[in-house]
Amino acid sequence: MLSARYYDGKTATAHEVDILLDGAHLFLRGSDFNVRWPLADIDISERLGNTPRRLSYANQGHCEITDHAALDELLHNSGIRHSWLDHMHHSLMWAGLAAVLIVITLLASYRYLLPWGAEVIAMRTPATVLAKMGSSTLEAMDSVMLQPSELAAARQQQLIAAYAKLKSPDAAPPDYRIIFRSSPRMGANAFALPDGSIVLLDELVAATEDDNEIMAVLAHERGHIERRHALRMVLQSSAVGLVVAWYAGDVSTLLSSVPAALLEAQYSRGMETEADQYAVSTLHLNGLSPCLLASMLNKLEAAHLPPQLEKSAAKDTDTNSALDYLSSHPATTERANLICPQH
Amino acid sequence: MTSIPYAEEEGSSSPNVFNILSTPVTQQTHRFEFTGSGSEYFKIWIVNLLLTVLTLGIYSAWAKVRRMHYFYRNTRLDGANFEYHGLPMAILKGRLIAAVLFVGYSVVGNVNPLLGIAFFILLAIVMPWLIVRSLRFQLYNSSYRGLRFAFDGDDRGAYRVFLLYPFLAAMTLYLLAPYAHQQIKQYQHRSSRFGATYFSFTAGAGSFYAIYLKVLGMLLGLFIVIGIAIYGQSPLMFGLPILFLIIMAYPAVKLPNLIWNSTGIGRHRFYSTQEVLPYLWITITNLLGIVLTLGLFVPFATIRMMRYKLEHMGLNAQGELSEFVAGQAQDASALGEEMSTMFDVDIAL
Repeated sequence: MLSARYYDGKTATAHEVDILLDGAHLFLRGSDFNVRWPLADIDISERLGNTPRRLSYANQGHCEITDHAALDELLHNSGIRHSWLDHMHHSLMWAGLAAVLIVITLLASYRYLLPWGAEVIAMRTPATVLAKMGSSTLEAMDSVMLQPSELAAARQQQLIAAYAKLKSPDAAPPDYRIIFRSSPRMGANAFALPDGSIVLLDELVAATEDDNEIMAVLAHERGHIERRHALRMVLQSSAVGLVVAWYAGDVSTLLSSVPAALLEAQYSRGMETEADQYAVSTLHLNGLSPCLLASMLNKLEAAHLPPQLEKSAAKDTDTNSALDYLSSHPATTERANLICPQH
Repeated sequence: MTSIPYAEEEGSSSPNVFNILSTPVTQQTHRFEFTGSGSEYFKIWIVNLLLTVLTLGIYSAWAKVRRMHYFYRNTRLDGANFEYHGLPMAILKGRLIAAVLFVGYSVVGNVNPLLGIAFFILLAIVMPWLIVRSLRFQLYNSSYRGLRFAFDGDDRGAYRVFLLYPFLAAMTLYLLAPYAHQQIKQYQHRSSRFGATYFSFTAGAGSFYAIYLKVLGMLLGLFIVIGIAIYGQSPLMFGLPILFLIIMAYPAVKLPNLIWNSTGIGRHRFYSTQEVLPYLWITITNLLGIVLTLGLFVPFATIRMMRYKLEHMGLNAQGELSEFVAGQAQDASALGEEMSTMFDVDIAL
């Protein structure tokens, strides 16, 4: 015997009924009415925690049932089973398993799916979009941390000419611009914009006597451009931002985070290595030694370390290698050795 | 105004049609009950999350239906529970439209700012229309005692309260914002019905202004404190986000109280008696729990907050709740139904 509350769908009045299984029908017996519903056409709500379950039939109203054991027995007798999804939602084992699987899925997606997807999209992004991203990034950086270059025009032309002569391992030598800026805050540095221009800072030009070393850095940045690393990083961090925002329940903050992601984008270890390899083959192609890049990297690192820290950092190799694994830039010595083994 | 407890409001001398008829009606207070439990919801939540992640978000529509079923069925009033009828495919469609609009907006805005502005204006123009469809969807897909809720608001009214007034509010340095808020709730509640019975809304703009002004006053006070703290380099600076949280708890409690204490259905009146301190306690401990468990506490936090809000709400009923009857258009309007099952855009109003 299963008792339930029946509502006819026309008024809000509850009727107490008994539900009986009658072959292929359910028989609803109220105090002043009887109804027969064909079992096959009855919509039976899934089990959900301890909530009342619901039987409804077309537009003929519905029953609310709180006696779960009696309903389960009736359904069992009529041959209706819980779905597998239903079991998952009520088992503690599945809850634990789900937690583990979520973590594994997220880690695997972050490690493999995300870089792959970002590369696929980045390689198909039209040049107009890249140009737009390049100019807006430059604008943002100009307003925050860059200053006009103080390099003489003749010196600038000299570097542009040298760069123009640099042959590229790719079939079509691309028409990439150099943008001269200075930034005491960033120090000796150069970076690639998504549209293919390279921002070269005065501090980097001042860090070396050998123009070929500057060319080595430009070749490295060109590698970032060719592989569209900047765009890939932006896509990846936006995707991560989207997931985090969705989880935290605030998507509106995402829109504002895109320019910030562009500014803060750091290349992954794999990307740096890729750009290094590109630079090495460019240097070979132009009859230059790959060791130019290695020596320049060491000079840049020296330029960035405050003098009093320089010695202790060199001694402290243990902490250095521990940090190296965490940081996105592979340790400079490791990179230099890879580029120029005899170095 | 806003701190007047419900019991005093009851004594107000507003003319009551049913008293004039002088039919004796039993007056009963029905409190909402919430029977959900954190541990039960945790299992549902985490399996939902897993399937959503595995299907790259597609399952989120099914997850929403399951979540809504859980919350509705655990919400009881006068011994009967609520029911959610939304279909996952309709929700998925709505979410896809929202996703396309969102991605379209971010891409277009990045490529060409001018086009981005055009897109934004287009969105603003479409939004009231979408909100009406969404409200229809939400109410049509909710039922209680076998009767559906419904939303009959027209597009004209929607453009007035969701586009014109917010625009005017922005133009007047938000002087009109409380008025716009009051108009939105009035439009929303007066266009809603349960079966054939319409909701009513009686709060005027004045009571909204009272709450907004108090918040403004507290925020001004906070700004002064911030100024002093930063000027004096005081370590108190780090306590300021907590002060902000405390201030924002005030409208989070007082506005729903005002809105529900001014809402009725037929001759029954709702009441809401949330208080700032308990609400604040739940908010802060929830936040701590979520941070400390890397999010695993989220379902427990949701249940706690839901329980607090619902169990401080109820209905002062004049007569029996079983007297409601189904609305005219309940089964008749196939077009209305189709329109209302098409859009589900999550909007918080």
